[in-house]
Amino acid sequence: MTPEAATASQPFVMGASFWTATIIFLLAYALIISEKVHKTVVAIFAAALMIVLKILEQKEAFHSEVLGIDWNVIFLLLSMMIIINLMKPTGFFEYIAIKSAKLGKGEPMRIMTIFAIVTAILSAFLDNVTTVLLLAPVTLLIADALEVDPIPFLIAEALASNIGGTATLIGDPPNIMIASKAHFDFMDFIYNLTPAIIVVMAAFLFILKIMFGKKLHVRPELKQRILEMDERDAIKDPIMLKKSLFVLSIVIIGFVLHGTFNYEPATVALFGAGLLLLLSGTHEPHHVLAEIEWPTIFFFMGLFIIIGGVVKVGLIKWMSIEVLAITHGNMFATSMLMMWFSAVASAFVDNIPYVATMNPLIIDMAHQIWPHLQGLKLLHNPELMPVWWSLSLGACLGGNGTAIGASANVIVIGLAERAGKKISFIRFMAYGMPVMMLTVLISTIYIWLRYYILKI
Amino acid sequence: MFDVSVNNNQMEGHVKAKEIMEPVKETLTPKTTLKDAVNRMRIARRGKGWAGVKGMIVLDNGNLAGIVSIKDILRAIIPSYLALTELGEFTWDGMLEEMAKKVADKKIEEIMTRDVITVSEDAPLMECADLVVKHSLQRIPVLDKDKKVVGMIYIRDMYQAIVQALFDKEGKR
Repeated sequence: MTPEAATASQPFVMGASFWTATIIFLLAYALIISEKVHKTVVAIFAAALMIVLKILEQKEAFHSEVLGIDWNVIFLLLSMMIIINLMKPTGFFEYIAIKSAKLGKGEPMRIMTIFAIVTAILSAFLDNVTTVLLLAPVTLLIADALEVDPIPFLIAEALASNIGGTATLIGDPPNIMIASKAHFDFMDFIYNLTPAIIVVMAAFLFILKIMFGKKLHVRPELKQRILEMDERDAIKDPIMLKKSLFVLSIVIIGFVLHGTFNYEPATVALFGAGLLLLLSGTHEPHHVLAEIEWPTIFFFMGLFIIIGGVVKVGLIKWMSIEVLAITHGNMFATSMLMMWFSAVASAFVDNIPYVATMNPLIIDMAHQIWPHLQGLKLLHNPELMPVWWSLSLGACLGGNGTAIGASANVIVIGLAERAGKKISFIRFMAYGMPVMMLTVLISTIYIWLRYYILKI
Repeated sequence: MFDVSVNNNQMEGHVKAKEIMEPVKETLTPKTTLKDAVNRMRIARRGKGWAGVKGMIVLDNGNLAGIVSIKDILRAIIPSYLALTELGEFTWDGMLEEMAKKVADKKIEEIMTRDVITVSEDAPLMECADLVVKHSLQRIPVLDKDKKVVGMIYIRDMYQAIVQALFDKEGKR
């Protein structure tokens, strides 16, 4: 039985377990949104409830590909975190940041543009939070050196990281989840999403210039401070840096080729993590492993089980029937609805639980439209493809809308506050919302033009 | 500057915190600004000695609210992004002074160490020495039964007790 067939064949009776699972799901999501309890704590407890209350068997929660934890996602995240944790102390990211500032010749607008591009590119391959965590400290340093307000730079970086992350399979968790559920490979994302993101990014850089261009001026003698910095000083461990870059190249080549050789992305990343751990010569992996963002990992695991519960009882199927009632099975309407609903939802709630819910919903919906199709014929149905891409674009780019829309935003605001610069919810939204609207609008045009007009 | 009682008592092996502590004459409040605090520390005297102290306690309505040392002041001046990273090489001449001016108006409550390690009046010197080493302290406030600060004991005074345990006044033994 293929995974998606199993989803569709779930019995759909609004009985006791339906309501129990639905209530756990709704309460968990409400608590996560309220932030009254840490989201990881909520996810772990709600997941345990799903099993304790016999909505899911433990075996389903731990081992079922349809209803349980998606280990492909978990191991991809874990492995990339290990690689980054090993790479961080080499000073590579500081090197790139200082080099970028120097390339900008101390001109604030040029620096902001270059930082935005660098952030977007790094975010396409690393997770967004890591990218902004690595770049924000250098940004604050540069802003102090130039005696300019760091807030525009930090906001630009958060927005750029959310945009860049959309470009690849590994760039943003929603994409990792979509890829795993819909069986897309790395090149599917490069082929379908990267072109959209290049256009979106160009537009974003243009808005940055309009928003901040006139405000940033710097005395010439301050520019000298930047030009005097020697980026080579940032490299703390050149040998480990070479090893890291070697492994990172293998991993990226592996991602490009994984579809061809029939490997899952998690296999490629796990190989990279294992190889780099081995090459690092560490006898004490404790430190590297302890630095893994375990709360994020457990949040995912809990979430997968919660979603498994509501898939099993048929809530997701019920939702997909409701969506179909709105769109009448028109796939263009579905794509557009998916894009804009995802964008607005992701601007206010975490896009990870959102996408975790939408993935099975899309599959259920597809089952109802094409009951005779199965496996990849169903998942990669040309009519369904734009819906997946719309989900990704909407969920990732929607994160830019508000201060709480994406983890990168939250991190940047936290770092700014620690540096004594408060970014209010309204101030972030004043920049984020227009950027979100414009980038989603561009994505809408892209989807419409590419998949419904040009059909390429 | 050491109380004679130290000598007498240490012979018996009974030296306690209250016997080597020094009275606290000057304190800060949580609302004191960093600049004011620096000035107060600059002109304050420890015991009968020289001007300038390297730490002061912060009292809020007579209760111990925190302690400020020159290290806390340095920490307040170092931007958080430097503290978080290894970017020290990319700083510039005059940055420390610039940053000091920027944070001059910060309130002491924002920069003080809140979890103050304290000892009771009757604490044995070994307990004090252990705390000093474990927590890299220079001074420990001494509290009475009502948790009011009655004095301060300094790392040097503890060291002096060791000196006196090993050598008599003529430097023999």
